[in-house]
Amino acid sequence: MSLSRRAWLGKVLQGLGLSALVSHRPVAARAAGNDPSSNESGPLIARVTRPYDAETPVREFTSFLTPNHRFFVRSHFGPPAPELITEANWKLRVGGLTDQPLELTLKDLAQFERVTITAVVQCSGNGRAFHRPKVPGVQWERGAVGNAQWTGVRLRDVLAKAGLRRNAKHVQFKGADRPVVSSVPLFVRSIPLEKALHPDTMLAYEMNGRPLPLLHGAPLRVITPGWMADSCIKWLTDITVQAEEAKGYYMQTAYRVPVTAIQPNSGLPGTSMVPVEAMVVKSLIVSPVNDGQVGLVPVTIQGVAWSGEASVATVELSFDEGKTWEPARFVGEDERYAWRRWQYVWKPKGPGSVAILSRATDAEGQVQPQSTPWNPSGFLWNGWDRVTVTVQA
Amino acid sequence: MMTFSRVILSALVLGLPGLAVDTSAQEDDLASVSAALAPRAEGLIIARCSVCHSPDLVSQQRLPKDRWMATVDKMKHWGAEISNDESDLLVRYLSARYHPGAPDHLPPFDSELRKAEPLTQEPVQAGPLVGVAVRGAGIFEHNCQACHGAGAIGGMGPKLAKNPILKHEDLFWETVLYGRGPMPAWGSVLSQQDIADIHAWLLAR
Repeated sequence: MSLSRRAWLGKVLQGLGLSALVSHRPVAARAAGNDPSSNESGPLIARVTRPYDAETPVREFTSFLTPNHRFFVRSHFGPPAPELITEANWKLRVGGLTDQPLELTLKDLAQFERVTITAVVQCSGNGRAFHRPKVPGVQWERGAVGNAQWTGVRLRDVLAKAGLRRNAKHVQFKGADRPVVSSVPLFVRSIPLEKALHPDTMLAYEMNGRPLPLLHGAPLRVITPGWMADSCIKWLTDITVQAEEAKGYYMQTAYRVPVTAIQPNSGLPGTSMVPVEAMVVKSLIVSPVNDGQVGLVPVTIQGVAWSGEASVATVELSFDEGKTWEPARFVGEDERYAWRRWQYVWKPKGPGSVAILSRATDAEGQVQPQSTPWNPSGFLWNGWDRVTVTVQA
Repeated sequence: MMTFSRVILSALVLGLPGLAVDTSAQEDDLASVSAALAPRAEGLIIARCSVCHSPDLVSQQRLPKDRWMATVDKMKHWGAEISNDESDLLVRYLSARYHPGAPDHLPPFDSELRKAEPLTQEPVQAGPLVGVAVRGAGIFEHNCQACHGAGAIGGMGPKLAKNPILKHEDLFWETVLYGRGPMPAWGSVLSQQDIADIHAWLLAR
């Protein structure tokens, strides 16, 4: 049978008077995502076309703030229908173990004190592609992270207005996004009350001075500074104060890591699993770019580094596969939950290929390891960053 | 009820003529397993999996067979319309093509599909297809209802009962065969007769 599938479809459709449709329409049954050349020149690198998941090319991280349109995008179901979150239709419900349940509009939220925090937001699965053995999930590499200025209200101010009952222990969040098929569990998660009442935990309605974009959770999202983004629920509509952790797949099964290291693919971990919460110390080499070329002249290596709730203490570089390390110096803004930019002036010794490694250490003594302990869902990757460049004579 | 093409396909897949099917004995020969199963399996990925997510989420994974099984089971549990035969086929195909040792970048599967035999080798009809509404009800329920709702009254996807597109048959066929927006393409899974049957059933809603 030499007839191609398309030609065959054309023949069939001719019988239906549809041949014109076939001749100039692409075959829709095309798999996206396997061709890196198709998406690395845009503002974001798409990992999943629908629902849209995309990471930032690391070269964009030379600026302190990551612009909204270059900020990584991740959700389980994609944004909700826009009419659900228009100012006229959207409300935030606060209930559960409260004295007085609330229903707040955006105007009501504007009555609370306005606060601004610059914070790193990072997908729990950032770097998943580097775990060995490979694990299932979106194969994020280095760019499912960004640093933005978030403006909104303190979660604890909203909770105080509702009044917490004595048995309140966890605060659950639900957004307006919904799965295609109603049998898929909703993305519902909770954080412990202590984090919810932290003065820096906020409900953000602005990102980098602009109204929160639809892809980033308009009109309101949770920001838990220092914690991974699985707590930063987007399109927020429901806050429920509870005695227990949220029920359901995304809290009880997903977004969990073993307490102690386990053998890869050893079946279900014999250790208990705990929710992914604080970020771990991590650095990225931003410039020069991987597979780039530099001249045989002094080269300024630039990068960023951040940790969870502690500040970054040092960043070091190695040019000999980690045998010796040289300290980089910090430059620019120093804010508690933001990343820190760093630089190092490197004098290449001669032409050829060189691997540049970076590792950060935070104020609590946490050191970025050569590679991260394997875990079944590939969370919290923070292995040494590596960029290979060619030094030209 | 099976169309003629479905019978042929089932024969190929289930190995009645001993063609593509003796995969348990061929598991070392990943490439041949992959090629033999590709048209049907990729059609299933487009029709069943991409109701909720694009196929690129599938093709970027590199997993051993047990993890593929767990993944397909999870998706069935969450409501993916996959029969037991279909999930066996999917797991065989996925663990042959997207195994841990497979290269990071595989060619998009549609280039292989083009080389493959056409999926549904129906004879070109002498006249227009005549849809049978009573068959269409069952095909709709299995393939379309998850998004378009029971009775086609709408859900995540638009309401189709009394939808004007039913009167524009060319648009209807184009949408079903190639997809539109979030709707996946169904040309690899539904036969021409299936689509005509669904159309006939929808017209009667």
